Amino acid sequence: MGNCLLCHKYPGLSRVDEAGRMKLMFVNEDIFNKSVHSKVKCEGCHTDITKIPHDPAKPVDCLTECHIVEPTSEQKFSHKEVEKFLNNSVHSKIDEKGRPKQFSEDMPSCKDCHDNPLFRPLAFVKKVRPGIAEDAMGRCRVCHKKEDFIFRFYNHITTRMHKSRSPLNIAQACGKCHDDPELVARHNLKTKAGYSYSETFHGKAANLLDESVPDCLDCHVVKGKSVHQMYGNDDPRSSTYPANRGNICNSVDCHPGASVKFANYKVHAEYSKEQSPVIYWFTTFFIILTGGTLLPLMGIMFLDLLRRLFPNATIMRRRK
Amino acid sequence: MSEKYPPIKIVNGKKYFYRFNLNQRIQHIILAATVIILVLTGMPLKFSGKPWAPYLYAMFGGIDVAPMVHKITGAIMLVLFVYHVYWLITTIYHNHLLPLKREGKLTFGNVVRVLLRLPMVPNMKDARDIAGLIKYLLFFTNERPAGDEYTWKEKFDYWAPFWGIFVIGITGIIIWNKEFFTQVIPGDAINLCFIAHSDEALLAALFLFIWHWYNVHFSTSVFPMGTVFITGYLPEELMREEHYEHYVRVMKEMGLEDEILPPHGGHSSPCDSDDGDGGLQASAEDGPQAENKIQQGGTAA
Repeated sequence: MGNCLLCHKYPGLSRVDEAGRMKLMFVNEDIFNKSVHSKVKCEGCHTDITKIPHDPAKPVDCLTECHIVEPTSEQKFSHKEVEKFLNNSVHSKIDEKGRPKQFSEDMPSCKDCHDNPLFRPLAFVKKVRPGIAEDAMGRCRVCHKKEDFIFRFYNHITTRMHKSRSPLNIAQACGKCHDDPELVARHNLKTKAGYSYSETFHGKAANLLDESVPDCLDCHVVKGKSVHQMYGNDDPRSSTYPANRGNICNSVDCHPGASVKFANYKVHAEYSKEQSPVIYWFTTFFIILTGGTLLPLMGIMFLDLLRRLFPNATIMRRRK
Repeated sequence: MSEKYPPIKIVNGKKYFYRFNLNQRIQHIILAATVIILVLTGMPLKFSGKPWAPYLYAMFGGIDVAPMVHKITGAIMLVLFVYHVYWLITTIYHNHLLPLKREGKLTFGNVVRVLLRLPMVPNMKDARDIAGLIKYLLFFTNERPAGDEYTWKEKFDYWAPFWGIFVIGITGIIIWNKEFFTQVIPGDAINLCFIAHSDEALLAALFLFIWHWYNVHFSTSVFPMGTVFITGYLPEELMREEHYEHYVRVMKEMGLEDEILPPHGGHSSPCDSDDGDGGLQASAEDGPQAENKIQQGGTAA
């Protein structure tokens, strides 16, 4: 087959689907060629298209075996390994016994987090130290099995191995679900995580486009593992499990030498009586102090301005 | 000191009253400059989601440089604070406690009495002056309360930043050296430090940039700018408006009883300007004569 761009190169190419939503079918060749999937042919992912003109295509399934050959095993490449990890994680759609979880439709699938990212130049990566980064190796091990190959391949495509998104970008990606108040309530989560993160200095610096501050993944992904292996706070495998938490902050890149107590800092504190009563009343004290100081003074200022229009007027007695 | 800073200076026939010496003025300017820089480098973080924040932050070097600017400026302010407390203690010791010691009256009761009577310590007169001002502002009287050397507004403007620098300074040092302090204090105390640091800073910024600036620069009596923070001397019409009791005392001490003008009856205003101006003209005419008296007063003292 081939030459899909014969039609899809036209920017106006679109249709309205059965649900009445506008679907844009245009493929920007320039952008696509800079993306991580640029070497994959269209039909590598859109496997249901066999003839032209084609019927409405199904959504892409990321677990499909594609045309690329995986060099360590010389077999067709697939992201299927990722599914195993994801099913074993807090974001799994099924519980330990294989039954669908409650509200399993809320759980993310591949495309909820991954768009078709562009390669980013090296200048954008976080702190770079010489040597092999453990969090990069964790990403290799998801699909590739030979440690020796991983080592060489890492050096080969090192630019792809660093985080490809800015901290703000990551926080927004996680926030798509974790800031949704209905979803937070449905799953009994303690915080709107992206929002409470944005209230910390880390989040504030991320807002101001700092590339070096920690984002969600720096704390919630176990060192050496991939983002697909995140676990709940009550799971001993999780990096945020209370007993493991002390070792997050004092990583060499962050706060070396920090004590275990340091990690008791409440990253996801909110101004809420139920969630953090001490912080709630402490903040309330300052709100009252601010209002109690400024409002009377503003009142005096306002009256003073008014008084200056009629400097000698009085309703009681006049000075001689 | 009275030789270096005569209580009254006459420039172009207008009387100016001594308020602050050079040391105090330099302290104030350092404080003002550090506060402005700290607010400009701190607020973009507090309001990091607002559209103006990145632009303001970029003016101070953005996320890479601005935090360093903030910390260095904060350190300067804290050094100033420590110096100020040192200066305060030595000044009180030299001017108040040493004379007591020489007279042999250095008892605990006497010391407390002297400290409570210091001009910057709030007292009952301030409470009466606040009540008097409210009465005046609500048109119950047309007499402004006659302020002493330092009015309640000035004491407020002094003690509010005093407490503010203390709170913001301590929490700032803790946040700056959080790894060190959490060897002792729990990590969630850092949460409280952030809240205290930024909320108290917002209060201080609003207080200074609205209330303080209104009183010393923007109110119609001083607009466009009060100059006492540069010259150390306050013009006579503002002395009569804000410090009448002190004004009368200084004039009497200088032997200028017959030149004392009546209290400022309200403010000069586009609606009503028949009061107060006559006095100014008179003082201008009396210029040379008054100057003689001051010199006599100065030598006598």
